[in-house]
Amino acid sequence: MALCLTRRGLLQSAVGAALAAGHSPAALSTSRDVIVVGAGLSGLQAALTLERSGHRVTVLEARPRVGGRVFTLDELPGHPEAGGNVFGGNYGRVVHAAHDLAVPLQTPLAALPMDYLIGGSKIHRAAWATSDANRLPPDWREIPPDRLMGALRHHNPLAMTRQWHDETLSLNDQDAHSGLSSLGFPEEAIRLIAANNSYGNALSETSLLSLYRIVAEFSRLSGPAAGVKEAIGGNLRLPEAMANALHSEVQLSSAVEAIEQSGSAVRVLLDSGRWFSADAAILALPLPALNRIDMALPDERRRMIQNVSYHKVVQAHFTVSQPFWSEEGWAGSWWTDGPLGRIFIRPIAHDHRHTLTVWINGDDCDALNAMSESACIERITQQLLSTFPAARNVVSFGRLVRWSEDPWAGGSWALWQPGQAAKIHDALRAPWGRCAFAGEHTAESYRGMEAAMESGERAALEIMRMLS
Amino acid sequence: MNRLCLPLHHAIWVVVIAGFCSGAAAETIAPETLFQVACSACHSLEVEPDHRIGPPLGALADRKVGSVSRYAYSTALSTSQLTWNLATLSAWIVDAEALIPGNSMNFANPLSAEETQQLALWLLSQP
Repeated sequence: MALCLTRRGLLQSAVGAALAAGHSPAALSTSRDVIVVGAGLSGLQAALTLERSGHRVTVLEARPRVGGRVFTLDELPGHPEAGGNVFGGNYGRVVHAAHDLAVPLQTPLAALPMDYLIGGSKIHRAAWATSDANRLPPDWREIPPDRLMGALRHHNPLAMTRQWHDETLSLNDQDAHSGLSSLGFPEEAIRLIAANNSYGNALSETSLLSLYRIVAEFSRLSGPAAGVKEAIGGNLRLPEAMANALHSEVQLSSAVEAIEQSGSAVRVLLDSGRWFSADAAILALPLPALNRIDMALPDERRRMIQNVSYHKVVQAHFTVSQPFWSEEGWAGSWWTDGPLGRIFIRPIAHDHRHTLTVWINGDDCDALNAMSESACIERITQQLLSTFPAARNVVSFGRLVRWSEDPWAGGSWALWQPGQAAKIHDALRAPWGRCAFAGEHTAESYRGMEAAMESGERAALEIMRMLS
Repeated sequence: MNRLCLPLHHAIWVVVIAGFCSGAAAETIAPETLFQVACSACHSLEVEPDHRIGPPLGALADRKVGSVSRYAYSTALSTSQLTWNLATLSAWIVDAEALIPGNSMNFANPLSAEETQQLALWLLSQP
């Protein structure tokens, strides 16, 4: 039934798979074939979970690499992360997977502290409260621009972070611009929050409830959870290790074009014209990538997929050979309300150089995304050098990453518009025939990389039920 | 919290359900597998804490909540007066926040009611 045309697939008998996974041969009577589309963390976690329960799994991945939105730029000094950045201290599944697969973790070298570039004025972090460029009213002046959203904690209606898509709470959800305003946030605070909002492309389209979710998560992180971690050598080492732990090699550069279901079989067509078939499938893809697949989803579900926005992120990665900020007494990193967004500077371990990432969020990316890659690089580089002339001879460009232009991602993560999650989150992740759905957008408890892992486990469980 | 006042009633119901399900064991997911999928990334079946972010779940039956030594519990758990039994464990898996508000376990239960009961029974039988 399964075509398992993979190199290792033909060699791996079901007996071997079940025994290797620690299951008795009796489990083989229920061993079935499952296709997982997408080799990001969610797909790989689903695949490993299914293999460990004795199923045969084939993973298909459109990109020439595994990892999805975990993407370490291995070719650059200091191998900066373009995707999943750090593992939260409460990312239990991520931490365990790393431990289980002998992927060593470490505490990351922190980015250098931020100063502020507001309205064209450079302000030392310590001088923010008294700066002329600080236009916040007296009660708010002490709060730095990057901490303003934290004031939402005084109003947070979420007792648990997973209530973020609670139907009742959702009835009072509203766009963050109106919501912050009605909560008494001054206009200048709202403007600054909007300047580097990682949770919506524009505040007017951002769900206030989703911001409460973020604030609740940060409160939880300040509890007993351990500090953040990263994989030594780059976070991409984790999905690579997960892929290597599978019995069957991940099929790279295998973009799925169409999916058909008939009775108890799922057939998957690759863009190469090759067909795969199995007893069930997990589609572990971000919604923009899922939407590219030709399949007979009900119209309403297709509309839901198309109506979820994804966050726009443009990153320009540079290497710094000398700390151009120190002579003038700046801390290194910058938080700006201008076109450069945020500038993160991180030391490189055992190296005198630093990585520099210009990180631009939301609708500010539109103009950059409309440009050719070279024009975009030129624009960002010129802005960087005109703002920091001392950087001219000590900064070299490395790589541009535009997540919304990536056809297999469509953006950095799913964004829920006001009230949207309560209406469609459950429906978007519900199994459809012999297909289950995974990906960070389908998770309930977590966001980010742990959400991907959480979703992979839930989807694997759904498949086990389907096939039992 | 009312449900905790009826452990005997609860346990009988669970045993009935579990017994009913055991007749169709081939069509349900084994509780060991449920544990592997839903719990094992954060909890071992040992009695000493390890690299996992949750406390170990070995020898759980009749253990006081929040009592594994050398595990850093939230205040909510370390000050709880509850004991792990079928009623408390089932309620915890279903909705930990409802049972002990302010705890640190960020978990949305992916299991059905039947699976939850089977898992709880199995966990309580682990040495």
